[in-house]
Amino acid sequence: MASTTMPMEHAHSEEAHLREQHLMLDPRPRGEMNAMIMEAMHYTTWKFWVVAAILGAIVLVGLFGSWGYMIAEGLGVAGVNRPVFWGIFLVNTVFWIGISHAGTFISAILRVFKSEFRRPFTRAAELMTTFGLVQAGFSIFMHMGRVWLSYWLFPYPNQRQLWPNFHSPLSWDLLAITTYLLASTMYLFLPLIPDLAMARDRTAGGWRKNFYKVLALGFRGTEGEWTHLRNAMNIFAFAIIPVMFSVHTIVSWDFAVATRPGWNSTIFGPYFVIGALHSGMGAVIMVLAVVRATMKNMKYFIRPEHFDAIGKLMLIISMGWAYFFFNDYMVQWYGGDKWTEALLHWHEAGPMGWMWFLMLIVNVAIPWLVLWNKRWRSNPWIVFVVGLLINVGMYLERYIIIPISLTINRMPFTWRMYEPGIEIPLSIGTLAFFILLYMIASKLIPLVPVWEVQEGQMAHSMKKFGRETVVTVSELE
Amino acid sequence: MKPIDLNEMGAIGAIAQEAEGKWGMVIDQDLCTGCQACVAACSMENNIAFVGEEDASYGRSLQWIRIERFWEGEYPEVKMTPFQPMLCQHCHNAPCEPVCPVFAAVHSPAEDLNLQVYNRCVGTRYCANNCPYQVRVFNWRDYERPEPLNNQFNPDVTVRRRGIMEKCTFCLQRIHRAEDLAKAEGREVRDGEFTTACAQACPADAIIFGRLDDPESRVNQLSKPDRGYQMLEELGTVPRITYFKEG
Amino acid sequence: MADTVSLLAVFPDLEPAADAIDKLRSLGLAHDQMNVISGIPVTEAMLGRPSQWTNVPRLALGGAIGGFLVGLFLVFTPLLYFVPVGGQPIIPGPPSVVLLFELTMLGLLISTFLGVFLDSTFPSYRPMQYVPEISDGKIAVFFNCPEDERERYTQAMTDSGAETVKEAEAQQL
Repeated sequence: MASTTMPMEHAHSEEAHLREQHLMLDPRPRGEMNAMIMEAMHYTTWKFWVVAAILGAIVLVGLFGSWGYMIAEGLGVAGVNRPVFWGIFLVNTVFWIGISHAGTFISAILRVFKSEFRRPFTRAAELMTTFGLVQAGFSIFMHMGRVWLSYWLFPYPNQRQLWPNFHSPLSWDLLAITTYLLASTMYLFLPLIPDLAMARDRTAGGWRKNFYKVLALGFRGTEGEWTHLRNAMNIFAFAIIPVMFSVHTIVSWDFAVATRPGWNSTIFGPYFVIGALHSGMGAVIMVLAVVRATMKNMKYFIRPEHFDAIGKLMLIISMGWAYFFFNDYMVQWYGGDKWTEALLHWHEAGPMGWMWFLMLIVNVAIPWLVLWNKRWRSNPWIVFVVGLLINVGMYLERYIIIPISLTINRMPFTWRMYEPGIEIPLSIGTLAFFILLYMIASKLIPLVPVWEVQEGQMAHSMKKFGRETVVTVSELE
Repeated sequence: MKPIDLNEMGAIGAIAQEAEGKWGMVIDQDLCTGCQACVAACSMENNIAFVGEEDASYGRSLQWIRIERFWEGEYPEVKMTPFQPMLCQHCHNAPCEPVCPVFAAVHSPAEDLNLQVYNRCVGTRYCANNCPYQVRVFNWRDYERPEPLNNQFNPDVTVRRRGIMEKCTFCLQRIHRAEDLAKAEGREVRDGEFTTACAQACPADAIIFGRLDDPESRVNQLSKPDRGYQMLEELGTVPRITYFKEG
Repeated sequence: MADTVSLLAVFPDLEPAADAIDKLRSLGLAHDQMNVISGIPVTEAMLGRPSQWTNVPRLALGGAIGGFLVGLFLVFTPLLYFVPVGGQPIIPGPPSVVLLFELTMLGLLISTFLGVFLDSTFPSYRPMQYVPEISDGKIAVFFNCPEDERERYTQAMTDSGAETVKEAEAQQL
């Protein structure tokens, strides 16, 4: 009854299906892809300008206006008090550093492991790293009582004959975040050079021509230039991974080295790293969904397969986060220290207990319930919502670790709740600034590394194994 | 290499270290009446700003010493526990010091005191977080001083501005004045020659300040390990204040 | 040499470009008399060209050592001005490891980045021989040949599948 030969039509439709699914099997001439990316950069609707204007106003008033007011008035206009000396500013810092981790993770770790699905969106993710770190930097400086003296934290010879105190985790933080910001910016820039050269060749004149001309540095694509670039990118991909781990580990040490119940935990390092990846991956998927929906020609480059692949990573990371969370919780609970016990009780049954339960639901339950399904996680809007919820959950996690945990200490007489004040406009301001920077960048630099996509398309082909058509990749590098 | 001596480590070692301190305090909680005279005297002596009702009720008062009061049981069957005056414990191993990135919280090896260098502070507030006694306070704003309080500044003490941490100094300005005088007269500072503002103001004589390195001093006589206890001793911070309760 | 001319042949794909390079070799050109530019990283092996020399890894190593030394200096800065804190040693052990790690990595990454600039002589905004088509995926081969043999070379390039063969002119990018 069953025919032993496969009808030709079926084989064709199978190939067409694979082609439709995988960007790497659906090559277009390089010139056409270039034109698509250039069009995506240039095509700007009035909606873009309206959103940008609103965000710009929020940044001016919410971020710079409120900050200026706070610098002039003192931190009294914020909600911090005794014992909650650290409030939302540090929540924001940890949050934005967390967001910045996904860019490096996707771009460096997936490059090291030669995961081909990364190709079209490495740059979109790396941009998040740089702009996220900018917001983290803003948040740290907002937090300082005398921000006009913040340069005292940097190591330089000075009249006071003092160098920074390297006993302090904040000094390590400063070095680590500076290293990471510089490294991620350079790592963003290196693979961008050929694309800037492409944009330069395809821009006739005006300020854009000069912009690309200067930034492309005179890149021509000679063998030597490519060799140096490839070598450098290889070194970066390997070296930036430990830097990324060190940054969030050091951020966790700000808490873990302190003599406070709940904070003094040896597992905080990896727990924070996985938490950073959790929120970062959620943010990457949100950005990709928005970029795909709003920018021209992006539906060709960013496809359901990419949401599927990131969705799988999100599921694994969510499991990892749950593992570390439980590990931390278990040990704290078992220890029986009365202050830690009071703190855990406060987390769960205190007036902000809903945050603790909501955190577990959106960080663990929802990703596990949704992301196991390939069809669901291939849908950009479903994973957008999951990513958004994970980011809410991770924000709550940091909120619980910082202001809520600070309420409880070993001096019950000082226990007091924290109510955010000017932190709220400032937080909204950093978020708006992040989105605004991203929007501006999406119109200035090619958001898809075209040469990397073309390289990947050259390496991919279809091969028949018996009756089945499968994807094969050849290693070109 | 130095051989390991278990008497120098752990709790026994901590007690041994405690005896090495220079300045110390004894607070008898059974004598304390909770009258807050020490709080007022400290504020006058050290130019502490008044933050107003609203900020004070939100946990932003700047007092360097506070009287903690607790009660046991449910209303109306409540029983007061002894008052607990709380101020900087001048730990020998102070957790607030190493976490400051700019060396604003430092240790004085000469006086074995915990110092806060106001003009070096950038306001990260890490020291306050890391203080298990929660005795560090932060200048949340530049506070106004209403008439006639602006006429009673202590010229020996800096006035702090917004954005910096401050805390009890064991009246360092009085220590220095006594030391200068003693040096001019070519002698050591005598026990009881001077005292801190809080101890001076205490009507019940519940706070006693003096030299720990003088075996004959009142503080040393009183603060024998078997008669008192130290706050959160288990953290190993080696505080310089000994408390008595139901002694 | 006044009697040589610099030619530029543009190829649509890898195969003809590799073929053309073989032909140029058989016509007597050395590898360093030609140069290839492309819009994607075409490895030397694909075109049968000798490996390119790159200083980037060596510079990276040098930068790492430099960063480590700066870190070492910072580790010992407390000796310039003694400030005891928290009963900890003046030069704390584990925090020094953190410091050395971060500065080593910073040195490594900055020198890798600058290494690309040095090796590729970036930035250079002088006029250079270039064809914008290469960013559309074409591969261009530059070579110098004697003026009187120009026809032969041009013919060889066209036979290999060159789309255009013309005199290379330096242009403002």
